[in-house]
Amino acid sequence: MSFFGTSTSTNTLASNTAVEKDIEVADPPTDSISSVAFSPTADYLAVGSWDNNVRIYEVGANGQTQGKAMYPHQGPVLSVCWNKDGSKILSGGADNAGRLFDVTTGQSSQVAQHDAPIRVVRWIESPQGGVLATGSWDKTIKYWDLRTPNPVSTVQLPERCYTMDVVYPLMVVGTAERHIQVFNLQNPTTAFKTLSSPLKWQTRVVSCFPSGNGFAVGSIEGRVAIQYVEEKDASNNFSFKCHRRDQTPSAKDQSLVYAVNDISFHPVHGTFSTCGSDGTINFWDKDARTRLKSFEPAPGPVACTTFNRSGTIFAYAVSYDWSKGHSGMTPGHPNKLMLHACKDDEVKRKPQKR
Amino acid sequence: MAKKKNKQVLRPWCWYCEREFEDEKVLMQHQKAKHFKCNLCPRRLNTAGGLAVHIQQVHKLEPENLPRIENALPGRDGYEVEIFGMEGIPAPDVADYKRRKEIELGLNPGSITQPQSKRPKIENRPLSEDELKAQLEAHKALMGASEASAMPTVPDAASGAVYAAPSQTYAAPPTPAVPTPVMSPPGVPPGMPPGAPPFMPGVPPPGFPSQPPFPLPGMPLPPGMQPPPGFPGMPPPPPFAGSPPPGLLPPFPPGVRPLFPPPFLPSGMPGMPPAGFSPPPGLLPPGVNVHPIPGASSISPPPGVPGAPPLGVPAFVPAVAPPSQTPPTYDQQQQQEHQQPPASTVPPTPLVLPNPSLAQVNPTFKKATVLKWSEANFSPEETRSRIPKYFFPVSADGPVPNVPTEEMRGKKRARAEDFL
Repeated sequence: MSFFGTSTSTNTLASNTAVEKDIEVADPPTDSISSVAFSPTADYLAVGSWDNNVRIYEVGANGQTQGKAMYPHQGPVLSVCWNKDGSKILSGGADNAGRLFDVTTGQSSQVAQHDAPIRVVRWIESPQGGVLATGSWDKTIKYWDLRTPNPVSTVQLPERCYTMDVVYPLMVVGTAERHIQVFNLQNPTTAFKTLSSPLKWQTRVVSCFPSGNGFAVGSIEGRVAIQYVEEKDASNNFSFKCHRRDQTPSAKDQSLVYAVNDISFHPVHGTFSTCGSDGTINFWDKDARTRLKSFEPAPGPVACTTFNRSGTIFAYAVSYDWSKGHSGMTPGHPNKLMLHACKDDEVKRKPQKR
Repeated sequence: MAKKKNKQVLRPWCWYCEREFEDEKVLMQHQKAKHFKCNLCPRRLNTAGGLAVHIQQVHKLEPENLPRIENALPGRDGYEVEIFGMEGIPAPDVADYKRRKEIELGLNPGSITQPQSKRPKIENRPLSEDELKAQLEAHKALMGASEASAMPTVPDAASGAVYAAPSQTYAAPPTPAVPTPVMSPPGVPPGMPPGAPPFMPGVPPPGFPSQPPFPLPGMPLPPGMQPPPGFPGMPPPPPFAGSPPPGLLPPFPPGVRPLFPPPFLPSGMPGMPPAGFSPPPGLLPPGVNVHPIPGASSISPPPGVPGAPPLGVPAFVPAVAPPSQTPPTYDQQQQQEHQQPPASTVPPTPLVLPNPSLAQVNPTFKKATVLKWSEANFSPEETRSRIPKYFFPVSADGPVPNVPTEEMRGKKRARAEDFL
């Protein structure tokens, strides 16, 4: 909690930090950022980019950053994650390969292979040991133990994997055609539950609650659904609209609907962030069903977000997300990696009234 | 008093005795005096709960021997319902009271719209745009002659005084008077619904000035609209009428895009791709190379059926789907997509829908909405990965060439929704 020094770690200063700007990471990737992930053991940030590289930054106590390492894929990187002890970085990319980067040795090697780009990689820390799960547009999820070139097992999905998240023993996979598969990782080869997304538009992101009893789904139609795994909690399921804008400032129609690009849960408080193609980020409390904070709109879409292990730093990428297709890829498009120091009242659950 | 009775708004009324009051303040005074009065002391409470607590605590009565609330209608003399003025009245009672009031006043059922009469002012508010429109429509319908409404939809009617009289005839059928923002694009055959121009020559979609427009996927072919000549037979595209160079994903020079994007290979499509239209031989294990297409209901099965597929098996090879799953509208949609004129920008390899019969279509919106990513079948990342700059030619996917750039199709859908 000592992150960012004295300025934000105490509540007494929270009031005058309103003017404090988020910190921009120096030497950002040269092309759009696709994925960000904090190490589970230190304030190291791994960043995957469409420029084929994974970069690792060290975040200092005052938010200053320093590039530490970089390793390439043969194609754009679509997802990065860390293993449990923070010694390895796993990444998957459009070159159909999953790569491992050993932080201690600085060596990278290929550890996974699919027949189509790997959209998402996640580390699964099970009692039996760590396993890498890779979800691909070839409609499979493969589990790898990193020692053998062949997957431990392969799971056939109904459609292309678009998103996946793991909070052991819960794994949720979102695919094209709005399928959602819920896995109990004690039995990782068959879906525990298959459902159609509660949202009627393309699934963009799924994210598990830190408590592991449910997940959030974000769609391209500016909407997030909160979904519990167990049937008995189904009454708590709900969805809400977000990341919308008015056609004109005067009209209150909220008719411009942007995609929800990422959902990140706070590791401590269980609140979560959503970010969208509209360039805004919001913090929410799913239990009180309230918005805790909304950020000033960024100059471009916010492609991905993540909290660090203690939830004191919130990293987000202002980066082109292809939401306007090729024509939106203008040369001067902002491509920034920002760090936000989380204040307690932004991320903490409000106590229930009465 | 009498004047107010005509108002179609309920005045505050007391739930206990169903008496009406001038305003809520008086109602509360009434309740305090008549219903929430302690009969053991002069104290008056504000609510039934308050009265109950008072009697229990001050007069030490057990909760079960509380006196019923005074002057109340039968069944409404309990302490369970917390009433404060108009606050707290059970919804069924409100509805019931309203209904009886409507009958009493000789009003149409449902004409008392105000759930509670706390805001009688609401009748005086300026009418909203929608209401104004609705009223205008109603008025026009009453008048029978709707020159004004006919004009926006039938532009001809507006030109010249000569047409002023004939415009009456336009009004005879109930023309949808909503002036659609859709301009009939030039070149649209007459009789076509304005919302579904399959070709829009010279009207590029906004935001894509450099690319020729495509028809709107998701829009069914308008009735009477024939596919362009030669379409149903599906001639192989000129650039690779036999087989494409083995092992290579055929790059397309700009502008030489073939007439149709066959990777969709919709099962059950009337016009099937010819046999030579299977994936490049180099990408497939032997034996599945060129599959004769037996009928309209089957297509080349995904490779990997015989033997182990080598690396680089097409990932997006269409799966075989029973023809019954293919809705007819989808066929039409496919046909329309097949009519697409050549595009100038060609991605390295196209995105291919694995199972065209399961193609997703965005649901329609209840109100006018601009969905920023409106491609239902592909994610932004998939689209982006097919841009030459990002494309990584593992030859693992896209054995069959050429589908229009997905963002084009995305835009199309958005426009389709606009039209709808």
